[in-house]
Order: sequence, then C-alpha cells, then structure tokens
Amino acid sequence: MNISKLKTGLFALGLGLTFTACSNKDTPQPEPTETTKDKYVLITMSDNNLNKPGFATAFDELPNGNIVNNSSESTQGLGFGGWRPYGNWLFKMFKTSDNSLGIERLDVALNGKISSGGFISTDKTNGSGNFVIVDDNKGFYWDGSKPTEIQIFNPTKLERSSSIDFTDVINKIGKDEENIKFRAIGQKFLAVKDGKLFANITYATTDGTQKGFWDDFYPDVYIAVIDIATGKHEKTIKIEDTGAIAYVNDNQMYDFDSNGDLYIVTQGTSEKGTGGNSKISRIKAKETEIDKDWSLNMDDIQVGGKFVSVFAKDGKIITVIPNTALTGGPTGNINFSNIWEFYSIDIATKKRTKIEGVPITTNPGAAMAAIEIDGKILLRVNTEKGVENGYYELNKEGTSAKQLFQVTAGGSVSGLYKIKVTN
Amino acid sequence: MTLTRHICIYILTLISTQIAFAQQYSAIRGSVRSTDNQPIRDASIRLDNQTTKTLPDGSFLFENVPTGHYTISVSSLGYANLEQKISKNAGETLFIPITLLTEAHYLESIEVTGKTELQLAKEQPIRPIIIDTRAAVTQATNLSELMNRSAGVRIRQSGAVGGNPETSINGFQGKAVKYFKDGIPLDYLGDGYNLSSMPLEILNRIEVYKGVLPVFLGADALGGAVNLVTEKRNSPQLHLNYEIGSFNTHRVGLIGSNQSADQKWAYGAELFFNHSDNDYKALVGIPDPETKNLVKQRVPLFHNAFRSYFGEGYISMQNRSWADELRFAVTAFSINKEQQHPALMTEAYGAVRATQNTIAPSLRYKKTIMDGRLAFDQFISYNNLESQRIDTLMGSYDWYGNFTPKSSRGESRLPSQSKVNEKQIVARSGINYQLNGSTKLNLNYVFTDAKRKGEDPYGARFDGTDIDVLSIESSYQKHVLGLGFDKYFLKERLHNQTIAKFYHYRAAGLNNTWFSTTVTDKDKRKESGSYWGIAEALKYKLDHNSSLRLSAEYTYRMPEREELFGNNVFVVPNFELSPEKSTNLSLGYQSRYFDKLAVEVNGFYRHTKGLILLVPIQAPNAQYQNQENVRGFGFDLDLSYQLARNYRINANATWQDLRIFGITAAQDAWKNDARLRNTPYFFANAGLQADYHLFSKNDLLNVFINYNFLREFYLETIPKAAEAGGFLGLSGSANLNSDLVIPDQHMLHAGFTYKLPSGRVNIGAEVRNLLDKDLFDYYRIQRPGRSFHLKLSYNIL
Repeated sequence: MNISKLKTGLFALGLGLTFTACSNKDTPQPEPTETTKDKYVLITMSDNNLNKPGFATAFDELPNGNIVNNSSESTQGLGFGGWRPYGNWLFKMFKTSDNSLGIERLDVALNGKISSGGFISTDKTNGSGNFVIVDDNKGFYWDGSKPTEIQIFNPTKLERSSSIDFTDVINKIGKDEENIKFRAIGQKFLAVKDGKLFANITYATTDGTQKGFWDDFYPDVYIAVIDIATGKHEKTIKIEDTGAIAYVNDNQMYDFDSNGDLYIVTQGTSEKGTGGNSKISRIKAKETEIDKDWSLNMDDIQVGGKFVSVFAKDGKIITVIPNTALTGGPTGNINFSNIWEFYSIDIATKKRTKIEGVPITTNPGAAMAAIEIDGKILLRVNTEKGVENGYYELNKEGTSAKQLFQVTAGGSVSGLYKIKVTN
Repeated sequence: MTLTRHICIYILTLISTQIAFAQQYSAIRGSVRSTDNQPIRDASIRLDNQTTKTLPDGSFLFENVPTGHYTISVSSLGYANLEQKISKNAGETLFIPITLLTEAHYLESIEVTGKTELQLAKEQPIRPIIIDTRAAVTQATNLSELMNRSAGVRIRQSGAVGGNPETSINGFQGKAVKYFKDGIPLDYLGDGYNLSSMPLEILNRIEVYKGVLPVFLGADALGGAVNLVTEKRNSPQLHLNYEIGSFNTHRVGLIGSNQSADQKWAYGAELFFNHSDNDYKALVGIPDPETKNLVKQRVPLFHNAFRSYFGEGYISMQNRSWADELRFAVTAFSINKEQQHPALMTEAYGAVRATQNTIAPSLRYKKTIMDGRLAFDQFISYNNLESQRIDTLMGSYDWYGNFTPKSSRGESRLPSQSKVNEKQIVARSGINYQLNGSTKLNLNYVFTDAKRKGEDPYGARFDGTDIDVLSIESSYQKHVLGLGFDKYFLKERLHNQTIAKFYHYRAAGLNNTWFSTTVTDKDKRKESGSYWGIAEALKYKLDHNSSLRLSAEYTYRMPEREELFGNNVFVVPNFELSPEKSTNLSLGYQSRYFDKLAVEVNGFYRHTKGLILLVPIQAPNAQYQNQENVRGFGFDLDLSYQLARNYRINANATWQDLRIFGITAAQDAWKNDARLRNTPYFFANAGLQADYHLFSKNDLLNVFINYNFLREFYLETIPKAAEAGGFLGLSGSANLNSDLVIPDQHMLHAGFTYKLPSGRVNIGAEVRNLLDKDLFDYYRIQRPGRSFHLKLSYNIL
C-alpha cells in the first residue's frame, strides 16, 4: 500500500472522529420521549405434543387476512397451548423455555421482540400455577407443593411474597373420611370478586398422577370465600351435583358479565372427563353465594356433553357446545374432532342461538373460545387439520360471525391479546 | 534348522497377513524361501497355464487371476517339486509363502487366506464405517466417544456413563437403527450392551452400516445398523484393565481365554464392572425459597450414578468332524441407574431409579462343508429380561439434595415399583453357499419371540377393577428372512450384492390399557403384517486405489413392542400402527493417493414415510402414531493423511438435509420442507496422532487430540425461512427468537497412551471436554464438563 495514502486516510479518519465527537458534545440532544404502541400478540401451538411448542408474534395492528405466525419476528417456545392475560400483562402457566409449571410473564418490546419477563416456579402437580390477580401488586396462586395453602404474589415484580394456610378450612368437611386421599384449595378455581377470593376446595379420591382431576369425592363442588383484605375465610359455598370444576390450564373457565355477575364452568361427574352434570353456574354481582335459581345445564342441551369455555357480556354467554356425546381415548372425539358449535345464550331466558357463519370446531382446550379486543368479540376457530384456523368476528347482534384472519403458518391458534407497550 | 533326516521337504505355511488395502487386487502372490529363510530366486512357478519365475527376493506374482480352482507347481534346482490344488474366490488376493526343503517332497498343507476380516468388511459393496476398537483399546475412552469421531455417525447421549446413548445414522435414530453383536440382534439384552459403558476390550471392531444392511444382519432396520464384532481369542490370554476418572468413575475388566493343545476345546470369560457417580456440575434453575423465582446455579448432580456388572463365559468345542464350532455361552448383566431429573432438567429427583438384569444362555453352531462352499451358522438364546422402575419416595428433593417429606408417593408424576419380565427367544440361522468362484448365496433368518408380563403395586388398574394392567401378558413375534445373491463381474472389477428380505410380525395384547377406558375382552387384539424389502449394492473398482459404491434399498421397520403395547405407565397401546418404510440410496467414492492420503466421500438420499412418533392423546396419556414423512440427502467426507512417519491427521465432516414432506393438514403445511427436528445437520471431527519411542524401540507413546464440532440444531420444527443461512446453512444462527435452538458446540479431547517396553503394560490418559464447554444433547440435557481419565491395562498372559 502507498504509505502516503495510508497516512492521509488515517488523518481524515481522525479528523472525522474529532468533529463527530465535538458535534455530539456541542449539539443539544432532544430529551428521550416516551413512546407507546399497541401490540396485538398472537400465539399458536405448532405441534400437538406434551411440550406444546409454538410461536408468538407481536403485530402492530389487529391481524387481518392471512397471517404467518412463525416469521423472523416471532418467538418460539414451549407451553404455548394458551395463556391467561391480565390487564396489560401476558401471563401463562407454562414456562416458555422448558414447559415447566408456574407463572410466567411474557414481555413485549417496542420492536415486537417477546421475551420472558420472569417466572414463579411451582411443583408439577396439575393445577400448580393456577392464579388470579387482584391488582398490580397482589395476586394469588396455587402450588401443589403446599396444597392446603394459597400463595400470594406480586404480579409487577412477579415474585411470591407469602402464603395463607387453609388446612383448617379444608378439614371442616370430610376430615375423617379415609377415602379422601388428597385435599387442596385453589387447585382448579381462583377468582376475585368484590374484595373476595373464591377458591375451590379439592376433595379427591386419588393421590397419584391425576390427583384432583376427575376424582372428586363429593358430587358437590366446594368453594371457599375468603376476604382479601384480611385473608380470613368467611364461608364455604357449593355448586351442587356437578363433580368437577374446571380443568386447569390457561383457560380459567370463568368469566364476568358486564354487570359483574360471575359465571363458572363445571365439567361434570364423569371420571373420564366426558361430562355428565356439567354446568355453568352463577354468583351474582355483590353476592357471594351460588345463585340457586340459575344454572345452565349441559344435560338439558346435549346429553353426554360438557362446557369447556365461557365468555359473558351484556347478558349473553358465548360458548361452544358439542353436537354429539363426548368420547375419550385415542379415537375419541372430545379434543380433535369437529363437534363443537358456537352458541350465544341469553342469560335471562337461556335461549340458545347458534352462531351462523362460523365453522364447527375442535375443542378450544387451553385457548379461550371467545375473547374481546377493540370492542370486537372474536371466536377462536380451529377445525380438524386446521382447515380453518384463526379468529372470527361476531356481529353486533351476536348471531353470525365472519373470518377476521386465518393463520397459515405457525400452528393452531391458541391466543390473541392486545397490550400497550411503552419504551 | 539343519538338513539331517529329510531330503526334500516342501512346507507351505499359512500366514495371516496384514495387507494394505491398496496393494490387493485379485492376484496370487507369494514368496519362495529355503528352510534357512533365504530367498530362492528363479524358482519356476506354474499356475495352470501361466508360469513365472521368482525374483531375487523370492517373490512371485500372478496378476488378474480369475476366480476358480488351480494347481500351483513350484520347482527349483536342488529342491523337490511342489504341486498343490488351491481355490481362489472372487475378491480374494492370495498370499502363499513357500518354504522349500532339500529333502523329502511332500506338501504338508496348504491353506490360503487373503485378507483379514476387517479388510474384507471394508471391501464389500455394502461397506460399513469401521471403528477399530483394538487400535484404541488402551485409550481411556469409551465407545460413544470413538464412534462420534466417525463420519456420518453421531452418538447422541444424555448424561455421562450409562446415559442412554443412541446412534444417529444419516439422520435415522432411535428404533430405526438396530444393534447386533456378531450378527445377532441385541434387543434381547436390553441395555446390557450400552455404548457408553461397554468396555473396548470386549470388541475387535464396530461396523456401522449406513443405509443398506448386508444380508447377514437380519433386521428391519430403516436406515442403518451397528454391528459389534467381538474379539476372537484363540490363544491363552489373561488381561486386566482398570480405569479411574472424574466423577468417581471406575471401570474394571478381566478377560481370560484358553484353548486346548489340540484346539478342540476353548473356553473363556469376560467380566466387567462400571461405576460412576456422574456427579458433574450442571447449570440448573433453582427456585428461591421465598420468591420462587428461578436462579441459575451450577450444582453437582447428586442422584445420577450408574453401576453395571457384566459377565460372559463360554466353552467351545471346535475343529470337530461335526462342527467347526459349537459354543455355549452365558451372558449376564445387572444395571442400576439413578435418575436425576425428568426428560428435561426442570427438577431434581433424589430416589427414582431403574434396574435391569438378565441371564442369557446361548448356543452357537458353525459348520462348513463341501470344501468350504457351504457354511452354516446357527444361534439361539433364551432369556428373561427383568426391568424395574422404582419411584416410591414420599417426598421430594431439591437440586441441593435437600429432602422434603410429603404425603403422596412418587417424585415423578408416575409412582412406580414395577417389575416387568420379558421372556425372549432369539434364533438366527445363516447359510452361505459358494456356487462357484464368483457367486455366493446367503440366507439369513432371524426369529424373535417375546412375552411380556409384570406387576406394579402403584401402576394402572383396569377401569373399575383391581387388576394390574401389567399382569396381562402381551406377546410379540417377528420374523426377518433375507436372501442374498453375491456375484463378481468384469474380471472382478464389479461386485454385486442383491438382497431380498421378508418381514412378518405378530402381536397380541390389549388395546385399551389406560385409565379412562373400560377394558373388556373386546379389547384383546391380534395384529400381524407381512412385508417385502429389497436392496441392491454395487462396488466398482476404478483402479488399484479407487472404487465406487452404489446401493439402493426399499425397506420397512416393523412397529416395536413398546410402540404397539405402550409401557403401561403413560404410553398407551396402538395396534393401528403401520410399519415405517423407506427408500434409501447411497453413492460412495473411496480412494488412496500417494499411499498417504485416504479419501472417502459418501452421499445418500432417503425417502421415509410414516415415522412413528410419540404424541399426546388425552392428558396425561400419549401414544405412538405414524406421523411424519422425511426425505432428504446428505454427504460426508472423510480424510486421513500420514503427515510424516510418526504423525497422522484425520478429519471428517457430515452434512445432511433431511426435511419433512407430505403434510396435508392446512395448519401444519408450513412444516413441509422444514428440517427434521432434534436432528443435527452438520457435524465434523478432526484428529491428530503422533507416535514416539521414548526409551527404547519396544515402547510406544501415542499422543492424540480430537476436536468435535456440532452445528446448532432445532429441538422443535422451525420454518425453512428462519433457518440459519450461508453456505449449507453453516453461517450465523436461526433467524428466530427461540429458546429451542441448541447452539453450536465445540468439544476437545486430548490424551495419550504409553506402551511399556515389556509390551504387557499400557497406560492411557485422556482429558475430555478440555475446554470445559457447556455441552448438550437431547433436550438440552447437560453433559459433563472437563473430566480426567486414567487407564491401566495389563496383559498377564
């Protein structure tokens, strides 16, 4: 190389750096401004295996048309069968890196990057990580390692803070019953309403792999009512003759109507999880007792069916109802057959209206069957082999729906939520 | 030797020769010497119609000798004439050392041999990767590490000693790859022949077949097989070895064998013991006791030990009129393995463990008749393989080993005290018939019968009863019949092997052994199936140093027992399974340049349908189902170079492009053309060895260093567009934010062996993972960091 040219180049480079440095020092910099953007986060499950692998993508707008959910902008992880958002947070009960049970928060950056924002670890008992949030600083969850306690955590810090022992409350019923092998509180149902925490009490006949699920000792579901301010147990209420409450994954299987009424799904008495006495029950706003005058009984609608999801708004319930009796097992129809039909049910009259325009779908499972975003009620549709795979928008009358978007890559849709992201 | 009583004696002596591959080419060569070992020049050698004379060094050569029967005559002034019939088979190069005596004139015997078994294996159209375990027997290493240095082969191992190694060949793995010992399928010995714990001393070599299997390996392998070839011990031997290593690893082996003076009896035994605490440090997430947030910490594994006892004793009657060999052997082993964590390292177990043991008597008969043209090889074995899984602890452990009691049983979600007995019969019949000098027929038949029954006080019961599902017997039979046609053409430049295989399986058991289904007599099922496969392999010699190989096969893999019956824990039966089927092609080129550089390039293509994978059906149950179709191609390159007299360098690299196809479900269509998940697509090895004599010409120091690179791979399927870019996908990383990408891994091993001048004692030392890198395999299960191993071997006899 020509030495003189090299020297000239180095001189020019040094000069440039000098002036650049001076410029930075002398020119007043604008104050950083806070930027807030809406993000519509979509999750899909890419493979139906035990680890529930999948993808999440943060879109700038409500998805429309054909959507790819596994692009270079997406995040891949495990435990993507569903989630349980709250406020401006995205929570899920399965850790993205390894699918272990607990409570994980997904954080979304302005550039759309999704990452784990923390994790509270629990043991591996089914239902561990079942949680409910009271406010930014307080929430409750259940950990199978201390089944007779309810854990308290801080959702903002995503840290456990303490726990409350309800052993005495649990033992008020069936204390000496030797066929009750497992007792727990909050394993399958935790809800917050009017300053009270509602937590189911499990009285199970097994203490093995599936303890607490489809092994109820009593036909009635017991729910403890706890004053949140004092942490004191006030009373225990019950939903009669229904067997199992909920099935815990990220679908919490309850919802509040616009007027504050709480609607709770119970899945029935079948030991095979295929229904029988499945109900949607109600605790009215400002009340703490099960409304004995109202329940929606699946047996009146479809014998051998059950409820698996509930969305309540303005006196209507949106849910899916099987069009045939449920069967389990490898060839059963319960999970992966097109048997679940969308209905709008008038709460006052219990009149059912089949929602037109939306396909008969598979079981939503951990995903919510219906959600609301930007004032739109969206129905989650995933038909066999994913021929239809996306969300349908319900019309204002609640009578028909049309496709909003179809996910063409990334797997079966399992969640959509809108959050605001600030830098 | 003095010339006293005999006037003229001719002795032809068989010498087992180690002949370099490149020097052999369908010839008859030899040397003629006097009894005082002096070369006899200008001796006349006649081979039927061809004649030649010996060179000054006594050597002679007949090139391009077709297969057939010949009469060889030797004459030289002052020596009596020699005449003897010999046979030369296709592909054989005969070496005949001749010693002429000056008195008497009889030919004591003539035996001809061409090549060692190792060389013969290397020269077959269906060529295996040969791992010469004898060459590494003094190294403080194990079979997994040795095999990982080979092109196209990847041993995927979770953990360390005893850690369930699995061979991946051309992307096939799991049950698609079959294991054999001396041609006998090894399924009946369960985990007894574990690549991570089996001692090198037991073997002569390992043959890894990529793609087409030779007919003598009777199995429904889809893409490859591993044949463990044991060391033949014909002379008195007594060998002791001991290895000590990091993580409280101890390995002891004692091998002894002997043979009667008349060579009619032989007997021996092999005893091995392995133990390792496997308490290496792993980076795990530990919950803070208050906040329950996970804090990453490196902690030693505390319940990860492996212990095995293995023994085999045999007695052989041999060289009888009715048997070349009748060998009765008893193989026994006992394995105790602790389980530190579930499939992912998400939590610690402190008491879960598994055991397996068996005593397996076997009988093997070999006989050759019709002047060696017809050979029989019969094997039969019966054993009861007993497996236990124990998870009865009423409590749990944390990663520090602290115990917390609890009321329910079992650390995992599946408490168990199961004991499963699998009563098995394995029979293998092999018949080889040499039709003529260039044509052979091979028939191989393998029959497997297994009956499974067990008990588990904490296991599943039939719905509404107290009947243990394990107590119901299930049965499984499999037949694999192979017929091979082996022929040379074009003056032996072209070698052809055609193989037809017939598979049949029959299974009987219960179809619905799971918690949410009522089981009745209706659920008793019997399934069977018959299938045909075919394979064709060609080898063409381009010249003395180079050859081309081409093979193609259409093959099946029958559903295995666990896939059909489940495991009675959470894997439920599926009698609807179809066999996996695959079309495999391979093309290879092999050459040697300047006697220093050996080059081998292989390419393959596979088209596999109906891969059997475990999928969930209804929590917590899962079931094996025919799921994915895979096709793709790949190649590997293997080089070795003699840098100098004492220095050798070798390197290989494997790249494979295996992709999913044929998915019609709309929501999964994006997976078409995506890489097969959890399957590395590029890996490479490089090694350097040097030999030195330190103190005398009788000692030998061998120093070696091996580097292994494993390219990032994807635990779960990612779209093709998000794959790493660059040439062959070797640049950068996946263009996707993912926790499920296993990053690039680099591993360096180094060590030495030293043979003391006496030749009886060898010392080996090795440092594994010299750079102390975080290494993973199988769902990010961490492998040991840097570890040190020292091995002493002593040949007592």
